[in-house]
Parts: sequence; C-alpha cells; structure tokens
Amino acid sequence: MIVTDDRRDHVSAEEFGAATGWDPKPEGLCRGEVCVPAPGSLRADGTVDVAVAASRLGMPVIHDDEHAVTAVGPGSTTGHTLSSAVAPDPELIDRNGEPFQLSSLRGRKVLLVAWASY
Amino acid sequence: MHAELQSEGLTVVTVALDIEPAHAHPWIDAAAPTHPSLIDTQHVTGELFGFINIPMAVWIDESGMIVRNAEAAAVLRSPLRDLEIPDGLPERMTRMLTEVKAIRDDSEDYRAAIVDWVRNGADSPYALTPDEVIARSRPRGAEEAEAAACFELGRYLRATVGEEAAVPWWRRAHQLDPGNWTYKRQAWTLVTTPQDATENDLIQGPNDVYAGNWLDDVVAAGGGANYYPAPQL
Repeated sequence: MIVTDDRRDHVSAEEFGAATGWDPKPEGLCRGEVCVPAPGSLRADGTVDVAVAASRLGMPVIHDDEHAVTAVGPGSTTGHTLSSAVAPDPELIDRNGEPFQLSSLRGRKVLLVAWASY
Repeated sequence: MHAELQSEGLTVVTVALDIEPAHAHPWIDAAAPTHPSLIDTQHVTGELFGFINIPMAVWIDESGMIVRNAEAAAVLRSPLRDLEIPDGLPERMTRMLTEVKAIRDDSEDYRAAIVDWVRNGADSPYALTPDEVIARSRPRGAEEAEAAACFELGRYLRATVGEEAAVPWWRRAHQLDPGNWTYKRQAWTLVTTPQDATENDLIQGPNDVYAGNWLDDVVAAGGGANYYPAPQL
C-alpha cells in the first residue's frame, strides 16, 4: 500500500484492510480465519498505525525521501505468497473503467487468468 | 473455455496486469470477450495471488476459496513452440526464438485439469486443500516482499511524478526479485516501445534504463524451459 507522509499517521482501518488484505480487528490483523496478534496497530479512534501494523505482519516499509511517500510491501505468516486460501478480493476495473469485485461471482467456479499487453 | 464450460458453472475472468489501461484496450476489443475482462493497473493481483509472469491463473471455488495456486496457465499450445526459425534472421532474434521454443508446454494437461475440476469439484484430484494451496504458493522471503513494495512505489511515482521517478525503484525491484517477470516486462516495454508504436514492444531488448532485457535475463535464469513455474499436476 502507498501512504503519503501527510497521511501516514491516520490511515483508516478500512483503507488498510482494502490495501493489504489484513483487516484490523480487536483480536488482531485478520485475513479470513487467520488472525495475527498486533498490539498497538489499531488506535482507539479506529485508525491504524501503519508502521506498527507492518512490523507485526513482517511487511517491509520503503520510504522515498524526495517525494515523501511510503510503500508497505506484503507480509507473510507462512513464508509463502498465500497466507490463507481465502481468495483476496481486490477492486479491479473492467474495459470501461467500471469497478468489478471477484466476490460478485460467489456461487460459481472462477478461473482467474493473468495476462498483459507486453 | 468460458464458452465451453460456463453452463457447467465456470466463469473465466481475465485480468490484464497493465499499468496503462489503454495498452490493454486494443487486445480486449479485438478479443471481444463474453467473460469478465478486467485490468489491474496496480499489479495488485500479482502481489495477492502470486502472478509473476503471464499467462498464469488461480482457481477459485464457489465459496471463494483458492483451490489451485498460481501456475502457468496456457490452455492452447502456442504456435511459436513449433516455429521453424527462418535462416537469415538477426542473431539476437534467432536466439530469442530459440528460447521461446524451449518454453514448457503444459497446455493440454492444464486444460484437462480445469475441465476435471469444473465437472468434479472438490473430488477432482486437481482441487487442492487450503494447506496445499498455501504450501504450493510461491515462497515469499524478505527480498520478494521488499521487491513488491519497490514495484508499487515505482508505479505510484510514475503516475504522480513521472517515469524517471519510477526507474530507481523498479531497478531495485528487479534486483531483489529477478524471478518476477511481470515487474521486468512491464518496465522494459515502457522504455523499449517506440513512442509512435500502436502495440507494446514484446522484444524488450537491451536498453539504457534497466540492466536487464528479455533474452539475457531468460538465458541467465536457465533458458526458456525455466521461464514459467510449471503446473504441478
């Protein structure tokens, strides 16, 4: 996820969850049924301390000083790309730029195929 | 496959890992797909599902569980595998086509596995348990995770500042995770495609911006046979 320096200290729980796949909850940072204890990550006002949350999840934090922006990389609790078999549900866009959620296809089998123009 | 299997409960969803939607549009328009055809301008599906090259695919069951991790996903044999390389081509092009011909072809078996899963669901031998899916997904250590952050930072800076701001971070991503071909191919094509071209450059040869290029990196990785993570069928 990307956080500009002026927003680094007040990222909403919803934004953190959408960007990382890890939802801040009272019991910790959760993806599906997997929860990682993360004391200090979720503030009383409902916002997330990104640096603490990233540390708890083993996520790398990269900072570009010139442009005052931080990137938080993916964490892993398993040493693998997937920490859970629950399919992530990122918001993608269709040909016309309209948002599309994979979760809209629940009840059907989905073959998700990555391709590119290059 | 969508047309063939949609009545049996399968929806094919294609997602283009293209930071510029306009680069994907002509291909989508030419294919005129009847399935959901999406664009991932942030390469987030690469990070979340483990796509490190294209084409790759994951299988998701009716309840939203991944039952097969990211693997090479060709379902038709590419005619390039059987190409007779003409004499007289530039030496570099001949070497490139030689590596392309060496790329594994698991299309027949992979296609059959998909059909089996669609028809037999969890009873298919190709449908994996959650633990198997996780264990078979690509190992992600500190360097791969940092590479993902670097690629994302580059993408953001390219969009908000300009191409030059992205380059140092994409170079770093390439160094940290040389096995991630989408990081490299995305970056290379943006600097090797002529400005007036109507399609992205697929040759991705030596350039002044990045240390690597398609042919030399494929050779360094052991050749075309190692270009994709083979399906473990």
